Amino acid sequence: MALFIILALLNGVCIGLSRVINGRLSVSLNAMKASYWNHLIGFIFLSILLFIVNINQEAFYLPQKAPLIAFADGIIGVLFVALNSLVFPKLGATRTTLLVVSGQMMVGVMLTLSGQTLIKMLCNLAGVALILLGIFLNKTQQDKP
Amino acid sequence: MKITEQCTLMTHASSLLAVSAGGLLTLMILLNSQLGQYSSPLTASWIAHGVGAGFAGVVLLCKYSQRRASVPNNTVNTPIWAYLGGAPGAFTVVLAAITVNSPLGIAGSLSLMLMGQTLFGLICDTRGWMGTPQRCLSLKDIMPVLCILGGSLLIIFSPE
Repeated sequence: MALFIILALLNGVCIGLSRVINGRLSVSLNAMKASYWNHLIGFIFLSILLFIVNINQEAFYLPQKAPLIAFADGIIGVLFVALNSLVFPKLGATRTTLLVVSGQMMVGVMLTLSGQTLIKMLCNLAGVALILLGIFLNKTQQDKP
Repeated sequence: MKITEQCTLMTHASSLLAVSAGGLLTLMILLNSQLGQYSSPLTASWIAHGVGAGFAGVVLLCKYSQRRASVPNNTVNTPIWAYLGGAPGAFTVVLAAITVNSPLGIAGSLSLMLMGQTLFGLICDTRGWMGTPQRCLSLKDIMPVLCILGGSLLIIFSPE
């Protein structure tokens, strides 16, 4: 169990690390180029991984039956990495992370609002309120001279 | 506009962009998991990266062809490691697939990933990596972190 906890934390570190590296690249080049390189290197990396994982099996499936819109996740990903790389140098690591996480959670809540029990809805709203408070505190803290 | 006003406006704009990016991320995860259902998380991410690289390549080609004189790049001073941001990014797919299928589940994985990201961001800022000015953390810096993490945990673990 401890192993999984470490792996999940490591996952978070990897996400943060990719932000730092892409942010650095966008300072030298620009945000879209940073996004391009991110996806290219990631594609190569995953190609190697896929090859290793499937080397003994015939079972490599392409998602032919998936809805067409699902293939747009690559396009949204490009925008995401570009935006991330654009704001990271300006806001710094902590602030970027906090704001992205906030946006992530709030949209996640909005997407699941329908068909919820009252308790879940209250918890979600309380969570969003806390997040907004955190954003506000962060802003007032960093805007001080 | 005074310089300070410009700076504040830029920070507000950047903050808004950062929050929007987070929203985009949720959308992306949603679509990606659909792809993953019909194949596997690894394949879905591979396709996403491929489509993304293709799309970004096309956008860059369009921008390049529009301007004769390309925007000056500081490519000389860019360290090689700066190009490798895609590697840890792609690795998260593997790690996520492992931890989501462990006793941690989605909720546990998500909350630990948030904590890992935030801790890493704090360490980065305190050590002044990436050229961001080194700052010692005060309570007023920790408060927003606690609020946002607490709010996120509340959302992730809200009872059905």
